[in-house]
Amino acid sequence: MRLLKRLLARLRNLASHQSDDQRFLEELEEHLSRQTEENLRSGMTPAEARRQAVLKFGAVEAIREQYHAEKSLPFVESVVQDVRYSLRILRKSWGFTSLAAISLALAIGANTTIFSVMKRLLLDRLDVPHAEQLRLLHWHGDKNTAVSNMWGISDNVREGIGAASFSYPAYEQLRRDNRMLEDLFAFKDVGRMNATIDGNAQILQGELVSGNFFDQLQVQPQQGRPILDDDDRIGAPIVALISAELWQRAFGSSLAVLGRTIKVNMVPVTIVGVVPSEFTGAKSVQSSPDIFLPLSSQPLVEPRGKNGSLLGASSPQVWWLNIMGRAKAGVADITAQAALDTSLSAVVRSTLRLDANTTIPRLDVQDGSRGLFLSKQMFAKPLEVLMAVVGLVLLLACSNIASLLFARSMARQREVALRLALGAGRARVLRGVLTESLLLSALGGALGVALAFAGCRALPTLLANPWETSQFTMPLDWTVLAFTASLTLLSGLLFGTVPAWIATRSDAGACLKATGPGSTRQRKGFSGKMIVTFQVMLSTLLVAGALLFVGTLFQLAHVNPGFRTDHLVLFAIQQPESRYPAPKDLQLHHQIEERLRALPGVQNVTLSEVGYISDSMENSNFLPEGETPNPDKDQSAWNNAVGSNFFHTMGIPILAGRDFNESDTASSPKVGILSDSLARKAFPGQNPIGKRFLAHFHPREGTPGDLIEVVGICGDTRYWSLKQDAIGMFYQPYLQTPNLDFGATYEVRTSLSPASIAPSLRKAVQSIDPDLPLQEIRTQQEQIDASMQQERIIAALTASFGVLALVLASVGVYGVMAYSVAQRTSEIGIRMALGALPREVLAMVLREAAWIALVGITCGIGATLLSTHLVTSLLYGLHSNNPVILATSALLLALVGLVASWVPARRAAAVEPMQALRHE
Amino acid sequence: MKTKTDIQQGTLALMVLKTLDALGPLHGYGIARRIEQISGDELALNQGTLYPLLLRLEQEGAIESDWGPSENNRRARFYRLTRAGRKQLQTELRDWQQTAEIIARFLSINAETRS
Repeated sequence: MRLLKRLLARLRNLASHQSDDQRFLEELEEHLSRQTEENLRSGMTPAEARRQAVLKFGAVEAIREQYHAEKSLPFVESVVQDVRYSLRILRKSWGFTSLAAISLALAIGANTTIFSVMKRLLLDRLDVPHAEQLRLLHWHGDKNTAVSNMWGISDNVREGIGAASFSYPAYEQLRRDNRMLEDLFAFKDVGRMNATIDGNAQILQGELVSGNFFDQLQVQPQQGRPILDDDDRIGAPIVALISAELWQRAFGSSLAVLGRTIKVNMVPVTIVGVVPSEFTGAKSVQSSPDIFLPLSSQPLVEPRGKNGSLLGASSPQVWWLNIMGRAKAGVADITAQAALDTSLSAVVRSTLRLDANTTIPRLDVQDGSRGLFLSKQMFAKPLEVLMAVVGLVLLLACSNIASLLFARSMARQREVALRLALGAGRARVLRGVLTESLLLSALGGALGVALAFAGCRALPTLLANPWETSQFTMPLDWTVLAFTASLTLLSGLLFGTVPAWIATRSDAGACLKATGPGSTRQRKGFSGKMIVTFQVMLSTLLVAGALLFVGTLFQLAHVNPGFRTDHLVLFAIQQPESRYPAPKDLQLHHQIEERLRALPGVQNVTLSEVGYISDSMENSNFLPEGETPNPDKDQSAWNNAVGSNFFHTMGIPILAGRDFNESDTASSPKVGILSDSLARKAFPGQNPIGKRFLAHFHPREGTPGDLIEVVGICGDTRYWSLKQDAIGMFYQPYLQTPNLDFGATYEVRTSLSPASIAPSLRKAVQSIDPDLPLQEIRTQQEQIDASMQQERIIAALTASFGVLALVLASVGVYGVMAYSVAQRTSEIGIRMALGALPREVLAMVLREAAWIALVGITCGIGATLLSTHLVTSLLYGLHSNNPVILATSALLLALVGLVASWVPARRAAAVEPMQALRHE
Repeated sequence: MKTKTDIQQGTLALMVLKTLDALGPLHGYGIARRIEQISGDELALNQGTLYPLLLRLEQEGAIESDWGPSENNRRARFYRLTRAGRKQLQTELRDWQQTAEIIARFLSINAETRS
């Protein structure tokens, strides 16, 4: 209670700044005069009386301090004082302040961004209860595996193939036999679906789910009800759940959405619920489907296969369903795997036709907590590289702050000694330095947080295509931010305070007596130089890495794809199979092709089954007539079905023979055009024109294949990626193929921009079918740029980090050299007094810097040679130990070192001997 | 040379309160002289240390102060005990006496065992 009263009174005093020194002085005066009077009365002389009175009173200043301390809160007050003092110092040396703060900010910002992305893409789990229990079924096989027809993404396992997709009969059998996992459930991400909501055509991302999907994932819709087993039954009315995002976007989050009917791929479906906003389906953590439909709706909403249905026993050869189940307590994955593998073998044997050398796929039980986890395949490597780079930058920034603060507090040792000598407490001096470091850290930290925010906003935009809206969101991760921030701030505090602590430990008198630079100069200078050498090393590594990635981008940008990429507008049309079953789809595309050709502004138009440089491709077996199938030999070729005029429109040269033309129709003899390299490989030393080859044959499925006559040879092109080598390829007129069930990509040669030609293209298509949307309108160049996006992001980020590294290194070199010159001023003065020329002094300082640079660069090149082979898979067109790049980065660093030490060297050379000696 | 006893922490406050209790409102010099007189000059008291203590007691609410005319028509600051101060004095006196008794008992035990 008393303490509280005192505290309140003190706070009042502190706030009001009320000075009652006045009161103390008056009381003091009154006291002394009374004592003096009394002393006089006892017979002292007036002077002696006053002296005795003062002696009796005690040390006035000390008592006054005590009085003052009693009045207010000395701790708070001195902290305020410290802050003011530190702010003044930081403002005075704003160059140092801004450098240190920017280093901190960049380190925190860049690291938080990259770590956040990494966490989001590679660590985060599905937002369902106990995601860690989820197991994903997967299989692997060799190249003779029984699975031949897959819808979905496969991955390359060693010497074979693997995937997480299964046929419907396999799913049913596995589910029936399964005792080792909780009930198995299935889902399939079907990608884009054409939907009509309130008369507006939209593209939705759809996911088909089994009736027990929501039950097993333990997800409750936020509105309405989940999809139930009753809905997942052939003939049941089709119901759908929509995402919270679609609910908000298309229905304004209105509850009236329940029971509404929308059209999905022209089939009416009824919305019965809305999933929670954080639920992203089972496929991926980063983006969510817009709509969930029961598996049983597949034949209607997403017809595929012979009669449209992949369900029941109708299409055992198509492997497409993803299967998951929760782990049972006490059952090891390996046990579950063995049991399920047996069921899989049984179902493969009973549902697929097997040859003598066909092998049975083996089942794997994998971690399903991150869905299909495709982001790992796509982003793991580049993110690892970026992580390593930002990690190095973090290290560099920390060491930069360390060396800056270190040099600074060394320079302030005299000040510290002076303050100690004048009676300042060690704690107080340390607190001052600590306050300064803290302020600096807070400044850098605040900037860093702002940068991290901006980074997390910008990165998803960088990752998206210009023509697609991105669903990928990137919330700032506070744990990551806290981690990087505390790491950087800690290093700042450590290196700011430790030298100060050492300084307060040292003998103040000795330090003051020593003429400026103490006898320990050699050692102090040494640790500063160590830090800077380390910085030069890191910078060399970072610059070399950046140059490698920039070089890769440069090489890619100068790849000749084999066709003209300018003035080419692309778009895709995916006709709904229910309205255009084969061969109606061919007629539709033929009609569109003809209609577009007549449009003003269109110089030429063609279409292809597969668009170029878009990571899509098609492959077929390829047997020159007379050759027999041989499983040990590669008898396949890449292929594409194209419109007439394709080669002319794309600017691919016809080297021999003819282009496809109007006379190549569905009923005319089948013709093909080979790429130069396929022609050379298949018909070495012969004229391929007029020769025939067999393609598209699947004996196991009873498809005999087509015998195709070669009518022309065209130039080689890149197909799915600029990075690939020229490959053997054959082309067919699409009218001579059975169908275009994946739609087609149109290529329009025009001098107009996509924006100005799109309306007339859209009108022309909709005059044929008003329900057909034009998808993914972009130019071929945009498509190519998008394919190099990963390379561009890596190059841009590493290049900016490289520049940052150069700046940090030059600051480091400058700092340590300036410090060294300042410390050696008197030595330089003596040298010059003894006859050294300014030019020699200049050389001396530069030599010192050169040593630092040389050692740093050598270590850096060594580190580069040791580490860059790790990024070989991300490079194109150059070797990871490219000597030009190594030499360039060494040269750059040497140059930076020279420039950074030039100013201190000039300063040293300009020293006036007399002044320098008097300076002591 | 005669050694003077240093004042223990806390005891000075008790002396000040007791003085004000006994003599009524008094200025700083008066309090200092009174303490010296009572202790018979056996205390090493820097008179000045009294003033921070007075300020503290005032902030704790044990005493109040005001400017007033002193005997020789000069201005002086007079301190007087508040009700809270009187209560504080009583508690501290009781505490002090208890402590003193205990210490005294200890010292006498010590003397007996030695003899």
